[in-house]
Amino acid sequence: MADKRMTPQEVVGRLESGMTIGIGGWGSRRKPMALVKAIVQSDLRDLTVVTFGGPDLGILCTAGKVKRAVYAFVAPDVAGATNKNSPVLEGHFRKARQSGAIEDEPYDEGMVLLGLQAAAWRVPFLPTRVGLGSDLLRDNPRLKTVTSPFDDGEELIAMPALELDAALVHMNRADERGNAVYLGPDPYFDDLMLAAAKVGFVSTERIVDTAELLKEAPPQALRINRAFVTGVVETPGGAAPTSCEPDYERDEDLHAKYMAAAKSDEAWDEFLAAWEAK
Amino acid sequence: MTYSTDEMMTVAAARHLANGEVCFVGIGLPSRAANLARRTHAPGLVLVYESGTIGAKPRSLPLSIGDGELAETADAVVSVPEIFNYWLQAGRMDVGFLGAAQIDRRGDINTTVVGPYAKPTVRLPGAGGAPEIATSCRRVIVIVRQSPRTFVDPLAFRTSVGDRVSTVITDLGELRREPGSEELVLTCLHPGATVEMARAATGWTLLVADDLGETPPPTAVELEALRSLRPAAMALH
Repeated sequence: MADKRMTPQEVVGRLESGMTIGIGGWGSRRKPMALVKAIVQSDLRDLTVVTFGGPDLGILCTAGKVKRAVYAFVAPDVAGATNKNSPVLEGHFRKARQSGAIEDEPYDEGMVLLGLQAAAWRVPFLPTRVGLGSDLLRDNPRLKTVTSPFDDGEELIAMPALELDAALVHMNRADERGNAVYLGPDPYFDDLMLAAAKVGFVSTERIVDTAELLKEAPPQALRINRAFVTGVVETPGGAAPTSCEPDYERDEDLHAKYMAAAKSDEAWDEFLAAWEAK
Repeated sequence: MTYSTDEMMTVAAARHLANGEVCFVGIGLPSRAANLARRTHAPGLVLVYESGTIGAKPRSLPLSIGDGELAETADAVVSVPEIFNYWLQAGRMDVGFLGAAQIDRRGDINTTVVGPYAKPTVRLPGAGGAPEIATSCRRVIVIVRQSPRTFVDPLAFRTSVGDRVSTVITDLGELRREPGSEELVLTCLHPGATVEMARAATGWTLLVADDLGETPPPTAVELEALRSLRPAAMALH
């Protein structure tokens, strides 16, 4: 039986500069932050990051790892100690984007979903009405329109496949072969990210025996199949500062440090030290 | 009873949601108003949040669309991919209820950038799901505080198309777009607001309806219900 256990460093060893990496989770929820940390500590660079963006993209931007961001939003999502009034503004991404440090490719959430689906189905695009009339078409050169070949002749947006070189996701439990379950309220897009990728890596709170995977969850929570997984990494607390319900909520102290870290080099160093210590 | 302009805005917005309608709710101001409606005149309002919670009946205001309170009180919970594919894009929503960073005279919304796209002066969070909410729901209500920074024409970036925007509720009054008309018209002022204030807070020449109305002030029942809506985790702060 294949044992796919790895360390975060071994996962990073399978990645290369210039790759397109999909990162699972959503906003500040169940992000594979231990793997993101290993990227920050590596010499990888010029990554294209596809994400429903939260601290993963923000941190990689400030760490200088990102060449291009592919996303529908980047937001901390939940108001917290350092952003009482705004659940939406993310300083790291904003700084990188406004200074011209990164390129970007803006979409709508439903479009990113369809782009991952197209990649997972190995088709070049999927048609959608979403985004017609929006300036997303004007400023994202990858977006084109397509005319229905059927009698309706409707003009639709052709959402290009978002093919990933690798996908990184974080799940509550996994076995050493790469089967994995989520125990929280939502699978997010993690299974789709893995299906859209050439290789997939799952970090998890705990590696358990296959027979125990469904002890805490119904069968439909077994969302990740080992066929899509190259490596499994046991990283208890590995989503922090993002949440990993029901195992833990967002780490508000560390999240506040991350939010503040966009403001100065000293604050960034302070955040890295606190994150390192976790 | 005294009340703030924000309270008036929220109450006015809540009144636009009818009992039994299915409403796709954005977090923040829209969520506050939609939950007020559900606790006053529209107990059968079906609240749908992007996190896949259908028929959510939160006992406290959710802090985000993924707040556990929404899932725990919902009639059904589907995954985020499903909410986009089968519920939103398939046109199953009566009302889309959105906030905005900026809005123009057509009801188009910008949540992407201020300034040129390639070199923005302010980078906003991005589209999120707003473009498909704006074009998939049968009608769209926008709630936004009115100022020369938010009421802008032309927009630097049209994130979401305003074709289905029927009503815009602000802290000064209400704007509507009649079917077939291109432009939003000020149809109602909240008590204490004037046409001059609304014009000064608008970045284009604001159209004003001939039969300009005044919003009835919040009732004691509305205010009480609104003030009892507390964010779930205020203790956090």
